[in-house]
Amino acid sequence: MRARTRLILTFLFPASLLYIVFFLYPALRALYTSFFDWSGFSDNARFTGLDNYRQLYRDDLFIESMSNTLTILIAGGIIVFGLAFALTILLNSGIRGRKLFRAVIFLPNVVAVIALTTMWSVAIYHPRFGLLKNGLAYLGLESWSTILFTSPQNIFKSMMAAIIWINVGFYVVLLMAGIDKIPTELYEAAKIDGANQVQMFYKITVPLLWDVITVGIVLWSINALKIFEFPFAFTALEPSPNTYTVAVYLYVMGFGQRTPIYRLGYATAMGVVLVLTVILVVIVLRRVMRREVIQY
Amino acid sequence: MATTTPPTTMVLSRRTRGRLQQLVQQLPAYAILILWSAFTLFAIGWIAMSSLKSTRQLFQEPLALPPEPRFENYDIAWNAVDMSRYFLNSVIVVSISVALILLISAPAAYVLSRIKFRGSNALTTVFTAGMGIPYPLLFIPLFALMLDLHLTNSLPGLILVYVSLSLPFTIYILTGFFITLPSELEDAAVIDGCSDYQVYWKIMLPLASPGMLTAAIFNFIGLWNEYQLALVFANTEKTRTLSLGLYALRNALQYTGDWASLFAGIVIIMVPTIVIYVVLSEKMISGITMGSSK
Repeated sequence: MRARTRLILTFLFPASLLYIVFFLYPALRALYTSFFDWSGFSDNARFTGLDNYRQLYRDDLFIESMSNTLTILIAGGIIVFGLAFALTILLNSGIRGRKLFRAVIFLPNVVAVIALTTMWSVAIYHPRFGLLKNGLAYLGLESWSTILFTSPQNIFKSMMAAIIWINVGFYVVLLMAGIDKIPTELYEAAKIDGANQVQMFYKITVPLLWDVITVGIVLWSINALKIFEFPFAFTALEPSPNTYTVAVYLYVMGFGQRTPIYRLGYATAMGVVLVLTVILVVIVLRRVMRREVIQY
Repeated sequence: MATTTPPTTMVLSRRTRGRLQQLVQQLPAYAILILWSAFTLFAIGWIAMSSLKSTRQLFQEPLALPPEPRFENYDIAWNAVDMSRYFLNSVIVVSISVALILLISAPAAYVLSRIKFRGSNALTTVFTAGMGIPYPLLFIPLFALMLDLHLTNSLPGLILVYVSLSLPFTIYILTGFFITLPSELEDAAVIDGCSDYQVYWKIMLPLASPGMLTAAIFNFIGLWNEYQLALVFANTEKTRTLSLGLYALRNALQYTGDWASLFAGIVIIMVPTIVIYVVLSEKMISGITMGSSK
């Protein structure tokens, strides 16, 4: 028994040590830091209580970043899941090349985000040689082809389109794997009883897929709330305030871009708000998505 | 008369008609899936094609094939910034990180999933909860910590960050895998006098190798493509990884407007992960649901 205890300790020790020192400690430390006005790594931190949070509430740029983040979370989420569901149904309609299609739809997930941002902002949206402009012109849609996709008014929507395109594949894979686990006898029995496709979708697929859908929505929420890489690199040189997410604004405040800002306590407070949002969203989702577990 | 027609052709034609009908019904599905896939493949293919043009050709005939391939673009991309160093940095950082991640996560995942002890479930929850913590929260406090340890802007520091922050996901995916392994072999080995360590090294780890491979692929691709942590912890001339290098290249070429060379840079960073994906896509795709299986 002692040998077993020793095994448990040795096997858990390295992972626990690294996790506590480089993950949990900084995470808790962030909460502490967020109560300080702190401009650098010298000892000039001044305790200001909840002041950083009060300022966040009045900071227009933070509100815009938060609203962008929530737009990605909610509007983006609805579109991502709508498309993922639609594509999954199409892939499961008995077509040939199901795995090949799935593999291609998933492909953007293995490409570096920095390559994808460049691909979208330059190759697809470029106002002169961009694929979208030339594609639309080729189809005779001249009036659409003159749209400036990266103008301040359009850039957020253009970015959303790219983010959606990247993410759909991941959820298609998730949903398809869930559907593959549903026994086919259920569908056969339903068919014999005269159920149509729509009925089978709502009465069999959705209820039996509920756990997978829940996991998917929780994953999307976490990933959408912390989104950083795509908005950060989507615009050239410096991220544009139109595409700021909370994470990007946090980075700009903490580490600066061309013009350093270094408001470290303030930036950290944003991180804390982000975590609280994640926790809140996950709790709400758990509540909303709770259903009886269906055994099959 | 009906008898003049051999029954087989009747059946065949009916079958063909059925198949045709099915195909017509499936036509919209094919159309949409082909459209979606074509867009993805075309966008990536177009970048590869454009990386062999001159920027002037790119502007004049964006959809045309390159008249003759211009491999100089790759030279330019490789040398405009110190790409060979960045490539090497990525190879070093990612391979060492992935090896360490597996070496550290696998024993932890094994203990958490196969050995019952008080608090094991709570501990698993604590580890996997890390997946819900957004990295940006850690930017400043972790940077301060690394500064105290004199590990900012160094490759070992970046490796340490990568390994530590990859533990929650890897432990999650590996516990999901270890749980599915049968316990008979474990029991038999114990009866045969194997110690717990031997059971792990000789029985369970080899059995878990498909799961280890999946975890390795995910971590490799994730870290190869990663740049937000590299941006915070290793953004100097000497320590940049390929992702940051491409970001630097983009900012450098923005001024000269040499888009074709920029596309060459994109190809350089995309090729390794796409090759791995083409070879191992089934492994990856099956891995996505591994952790979430009951």
